[in-house]
Amino acid sequence: MSQEKIFSDILDSIVNLDEETALELANKAINDNMNLMDVIEKGYSAGIRKVGELWEEGEFFLPELMRGAQIMQNCLDLLIPHLEKGTEEISQGTVVIATIEGDIHSIGKTIVGTMLRAYGFKVFDLGADVPAEKIVDFAIEKKADVIGVSALLTTTMFGQKKIIEILKERNLLERFKVILGGAPVTTSWVNECNADGFAENAIDAVKLVKSLLNK
Amino acid sequence: MLFHDWLKDESKIVLFDGGMGTELIKRGLETGKLPDLLNIEKPDIIVEIHKSYYEAGSDMCQSNTFGSTPLNLKNHSLEDKITNIIDKALDNIQKACPPGRLVVGDIGPTGEFRPPVGKATSEEWHSSFATQTRLLEKGVALFHIETISDLEEMLSAVRAVKEISDKPIIASITYKKTKRGFFTIMGDPLEKCINALENEKVDVIGANCTLGSGDMLDLAKQAVNMTELPISVKPNAGQPRIEGTKTYYDQPIEEFVRDIQDMINLGVKIVGGCCGTTPKTINGIRKIIDKI
Repeated sequence: MSQEKIFSDILDSIVNLDEETALELANKAINDNMNLMDVIEKGYSAGIRKVGELWEEGEFFLPELMRGAQIMQNCLDLLIPHLEKGTEEISQGTVVIATIEGDIHSIGKTIVGTMLRAYGFKVFDLGADVPAEKIVDFAIEKKADVIGVSALLTTTMFGQKKIIEILKERNLLERFKVILGGAPVTTSWVNECNADGFAENAIDAVKLVKSLLNK
Repeated sequence: MLFHDWLKDESKIVLFDGGMGTELIKRGLETGKLPDLLNIEKPDIIVEIHKSYYEAGSDMCQSNTFGSTPLNLKNHSLEDKITNIIDKALDNIQKACPPGRLVVGDIGPTGEFRPPVGKATSEEWHSSFATQTRLLEKGVALFHIETISDLEEMLSAVRAVKEISDKPIIASITYKKTKRGFFTIMGDPLEKCINALENEKVDVIGANCTLGSGDMLDLAKQAVNMTELPISVKPNAGQPRIEGTKTYYDQPIEEFVRDIQDMINLGVKIVGGCCGTTPKTINGIRKIIDKI
């Protein structure tokens, strides 16, 4: 089987949400001593990008998006220990995400985390209802590149601004990119907060993080 | 009973209420607080908001119990307060409801998704909705199950309500507009949802939230051709804009009311508003209904 054929079979397995085949092909790539970086980039990443496109086009919905990302993640878990240079080689950057204090809506944030992981970012998901100070402290500890803060309520989104204020107070504004998410967030709110951007959905969030980190 | 008479009366357009959350924010709702808890802590404000909708001309308003399912309250560590919250919610709305108008029991989503998105099971949904229905039943004329973005969760809710009560059900799903038409975020197309709700023998098929009035008008154009059942709409007043610490909905009331009028002309039976709509919006609709 040619390399190109394996790459395209991997892509199809992700798009078809066929976990069994996706994992089989990951094992085959390991056993055949293939270049696993190529396998990840040209097979699995290409597959998850296609899933993202189908979601943007309204062909795929939340269950397909989540399932695709989960399969991708399970395959990466299998492949990464076999990479010569380990995880740092494929890590696109480190992202700490959380839903802000007072807000228990976690689904959107979880989807963003799953998609970022599927695209090769190291993601720390702190969950929902997390105080701004804790998010900042954790980002410092993990040497994060990006802090992502979600708020689904117009009553809790003011907590997003608090993150920036804390970073300002501690003179850390230059060290992190801060991105916002959640239904009520708009460009004018991002400007008002002095944040680095916002995304309407998980796929846009991946694009945003990539562009902020020049990936 | 009154609601069935309204449905049977071809000339009757039923006016529902508008947004609760936006009205609470106006009155200084504390950040992150579950609005349902205010039934106990600030009953006067809740009574005042219900009253303002009835006075604006609503034929029926819904109880402030959107988040009062055990599953959702658990996330706020409030599950042990469910009886008190719902009892007080019913007291509050009954105080505001004038004779000849109706109290609707509001049932919102549990906040828990089924796999692969979340971990909820149909049994958990069912038991959660059944508990809420049992507590609401004594004080309402009908139920509005709303803002549900998964047909499976809606079906669990409808079955739970029917198990406990014979009262009418309005089943409102939240749709998003895609290039291929209207779908739930879980991928159920409009027609599939409508057919499934017809099979469950709900009394009214509805759509609410997320869509502004313009997109809801597009949805209504399709929905009226998909079912003989009455249709209910509660669109948002456009999208929120935040400035400083204030939230604004910029869509002019006249535009919203014009879209509602177009929906009524299409045959939509029950009209009202969701996020961003106010007693002024409802009063604007009242005026056009009274002219019909």
